[in-house]
Amino acid sequence: MDELPTQRAEGAPVIEQPDAPVVEIADAVATRSFPTALGAFGGRVLRQYSLVFLLVASFVLYSTWSKTSSVFLTGDSLRVMVAGQAVIGVLTLGILVTMVAGNFDLSVGNIAGLSYVMTATLYAKHGWGLWPGIAAGIVIGGFVGGVNGLLVTILRVDPFIITLGTASAILGFIDWYTQDQSIVTGIPSAIPNFGKDNFLGVPDIVWVLALVALAIYYLLEHTPYGRNLHAIGSNRAAARLVGIRVERSIALAFVINGLFAGLAGVLMLARAGSMTPTIPPTLALTALAGAFLGAASFKVGRLNVPGTIVALLFLAVNITGLQYAGVANWINEMFTGLSLIFAIAFAAVLSKERSVKHKTRKSA
Amino acid sequence: MPAVVAGPRTALAVRGLSKTYAGHLALDSLFLQIRPGEIHALLGGNGSGKSTTIKILAGVVPADPGGELVLGDGDAIGVHDWTAAKAHAAGLRFVHQQPAVFPELSIAENLALGAAFPRAAGGRVDWRALNARTAELLERYEIRASPKTPLAALRAADRCRVAIVRALQDRDDADSGVLVLDEPTAALPDAEAQHLLAALRGYAAAGQTILYVSHRLDEVLSVADRVTVLRDGRKVDTKDAEGLSEADLIEMIVGRPLDRAFPVAPAETTDDAAMTIRGLRGGPLHGVDLTLRKGEVLGIAGLLGSGRSELLRMLFGAYGVDSGSVTLDGHDYAPSTPQAAMKADVAYVPEDRQADALLYGESVRHNLTAGQEASYFRKFLYRHRLERDDSQRSISDFLIRVVSDTQPIETLSGGNQQKVVMARWLRRRPKVLLLDEPTQGVDVGARAEIYQLIRRATEQGTSVILVVSEPEELAHASDRVAVLAGGRITAVVERPIDAHKLTELMNAAHSAVGEASP
Repeated sequence: MDELPTQRAEGAPVIEQPDAPVVEIADAVATRSFPTALGAFGGRVLRQYSLVFLLVASFVLYSTWSKTSSVFLTGDSLRVMVAGQAVIGVLTLGILVTMVAGNFDLSVGNIAGLSYVMTATLYAKHGWGLWPGIAAGIVIGGFVGGVNGLLVTILRVDPFIITLGTASAILGFIDWYTQDQSIVTGIPSAIPNFGKDNFLGVPDIVWVLALVALAIYYLLEHTPYGRNLHAIGSNRAAARLVGIRVERSIALAFVINGLFAGLAGVLMLARAGSMTPTIPPTLALTALAGAFLGAASFKVGRLNVPGTIVALLFLAVNITGLQYAGVANWINEMFTGLSLIFAIAFAAVLSKERSVKHKTRKSA
Repeated sequence: MPAVVAGPRTALAVRGLSKTYAGHLALDSLFLQIRPGEIHALLGGNGSGKSTTIKILAGVVPADPGGELVLGDGDAIGVHDWTAAKAHAAGLRFVHQQPAVFPELSIAENLALGAAFPRAAGGRVDWRALNARTAELLERYEIRASPKTPLAALRAADRCRVAIVRALQDRDDADSGVLVLDEPTAALPDAEAQHLLAALRGYAAAGQTILYVSHRLDEVLSVADRVTVLRDGRKVDTKDAEGLSEADLIEMIVGRPLDRAFPVAPAETTDDAAMTIRGLRGGPLHGVDLTLRKGEVLGIAGLLGSGRSELLRMLFGAYGVDSGSVTLDGHDYAPSTPQAAMKADVAYVPEDRQADALLYGESVRHNLTAGQEASYFRKFLYRHRLERDDSQRSISDFLIRVVSDTQPIETLSGGNQQKVVMARWLRRRPKVLLLDEPTQGVDVGARAEIYQLIRRATEQGTSVILVVSEPEELAHASDRVAVLAGGRITAVVERPIDAHKLTELMNAAHSAVGEASP
C-alpha cells in the first residue's frame, strides 16, 4: 500500500505471479466470500492460461470448420505445420537467452542465414563431410554471436543498435561470399532427408526443436547461469553487487544465442534442400515477437520456454488454418503482429488488477 | 499584526475517507483537519494508510465513494470527483517520496516543467527569462548550481531540493492551498534536513499550510504544530506537538511502548582487529586509517559527500582504490571485484536498495538467493527444494513479513525489502558486513528489527561497519563512531557517544579542513 509497483528497468513491466495456488485460494477464501475468491482464482487461471485456451480453441475450430477440417486434421498436415515452425522456433528459443538478460539481438535471423549459406557452400564447393559441415554451421553462429557479445560488453552501446549493425554487415558478407549464386547440388542427401523424414511419426526437425526447448528451459530455469541472466535482466547494478560477472555472462549469452542461430541455419538448409542466397528479412523480428508472445503465458510478464512453445504452436495453428481456409499469404505476419498486440494488451489489463491485489497481500 | 485572522478555520479537511483494496480496508473512515498556516505532521508505520491518504489527496488513487473533501471555506466535495487536476487547481502541491525529476534535463527545464515555460515572440521558449527566473529561485533556496546544470550532475539531496523548489515556485505569493511533503528529508543528511525544516518553518509563519509526512520523529517534533497518527488505516489521535516526546509518538504509531527505539546492549568487543585499513586513497578519500574490531559495530559519521559510501564500496571491490592497504583477519585484502570480496566473506548492503540491491520482477526467494545459486547446483541438478527450505528459514530468521516466498519483491514494504537484502547477506554469516544507510525509508518498527538483526549478527561473530546519516541513530547503534571528513578519519569516539558531539565533529573537522585545504 505504501509503494507503487516499480517498473523493471528493461523488458516487460508486468509483475510476476506467485506460483503457489494453494496459499492464494486459502487466503482469498479467508478474507472474502467464496464467489469472489473463486472469481479471483478464475481470473488468475484465465490470465496464465489464456493463450493455451485460445490454442485449443483454434485447434478445435480448424478441425471442425467445414472449410478446413478435411485438410487440417490429417497427420501430414499437422506434421507440415509443426515442421514449418522448427526454424523460427529454434531462433526464438535461442533469443530468449539474451533477452532474459535484457538484451535484444536483432541479428539472429542473419546469423542463421550466414550459417545456412556457409554450410551449403562448404558442402558443395569445398567437399566437407556431413558432420563437419553441421558443426561448422553451428560454430559459425557461435562465432558471430561472440563478436556481438564482445561489441556489446566492450563498447557498452545498446545491443539493439549493435546487433542491427552486425545484421547488416552479415548480409553484406553473404552477398560477397555467395556471389549471388544458388547451390542446388553437392549437399549430402542426409541433410534434406533430415528435413523431410519422420521419427516415430514426428518430423526429425521437430525432435530437434523439442530438444532445443528442453536445453534452453534447463539452462534458463535450472542452472545458476540462467538465474544470473535473470538477475542481470532485472537489475544489472544489483547483479554486479552480488558477485555476478555481468559482462562475462552477457557475452556468453550472445555466444549461446549465436550457436542456436547457427543450428537454425543448418535446419533451414535441411528444410530447403538447396541454397538460395536470399535471407528472409523478418526472421529476427518474428522471433522477438514469438518470445514476447510467450511471455504472456504461465509466468506472465516473464520470458519463459513453455509459454514460447505455446505461442509458436498458437501462431502455427492459426496461420496454417487460415491459409487452408483460403486467406491470402500476407496473413502470416499480420496474424503474428496482431496476436502479439492483443496478448500484451490482455496481460497488461489483467496485471493492473493483479498488482493491486498484491499490494494488499504484504502484511503491515 | 492581529493574531486572529478572519479566514477559514480549515485549510483542508477530509471526512469519512476510506479506501478498499480488493477486500482489504487500507483506510477506514478517516477524519483529518488541517488548519491554515500550520505544519501538520502525518505519522504512521507501514500499512497505516498514510501513503494511501496522500495518494488520494493527490488524485492519483481513487477513494471509496462516500468520503468528502473540504478546502478552505468551500463546500464539501465528494471524493469520487477528485482528480489530480482538481487537486492542483485547488492549490494542493505535492512533493512525493520519489520526486519525479528528470535527470537528463537541466535544472531550469525541470523547474519549467512544474510551472510554465516563459514564452517569447512566435511562441518560442524564452530561455533567458527562464534561466534568470531559475537563477533567482536557486539563490533564494541556496542551491549552489547554475540553471543550465543537468539535474543528474547534482547530488541526490540537491535533486530532492529542486523538486521541492519546483513545487513551491508558484506558491510563494499565495497563502491558500496546501503543500504536501512526503518524506522530504529521507535522502537528506542532517544538515540539509535542518536547512529544509528551517525553510518550512518560514513558509508556515508566512501563512503556508504544510502537510508533512515523515518517519523522522525528532524532525516532526521540531517542526510540526500538530501531529496525526494513523495505525492500520484508522486515526489513532491528533495532538498538539508541544509537549510530545519521541517515545509518545512511537507508542502511538506502534501501539505498544517500546523499551528503546534501538537496542543499546553494548557488545562485548574483543580487541582483535577484524579489519585494518591504512592509508586508503581513492575518489574522495585521501588516506583513511581505521581499525575494525571483531564483533563490533563501527559507525562512520560524515557529511554528505564525505566519502562514506565510497569507503564501503572500496572495501567491497566496487570502487577504484588508488593506494593503501587493508588486512582482513591478518591477511592482505585487496578485492578487485565484488566476487573477490564475497569470497573473503565480506558483505555489502548498498544505500539505494531500489537501484543497487533489489531484483524487481523476481520473487522474494530469488532475491534472497541472489549470487548464491551455485551452491544449490550439484551434479547438473538444481536443488530447488533446498533453496525453498533455506528461503523459508531465512524469512522466519530475519523477521521478514511475507505471505509466501514466491511473492514478487515489489509487493513488500520498504522495511521488509530492506530485511530481504540484509537476510541475503546475513545468512552467509559474513566476517565483515558493510551497511550503507540500512534504515533509509524504513518505518520505526522495522527499523528496530533491523538493528536487532545487526546486533544478533555481531553476537555471532560478524563485525559491522555502519553508515547512517542521522547522528542520534548512529550514536545509539554503534559501539564506536569514526568521523570521516576531508577524506580522512579525524576522530574516533568511544562509548558513551553523544550525538551532538558527533555533529560538532563532523562539521568542525569540515571547516577546519576547508581552511587548511591547499
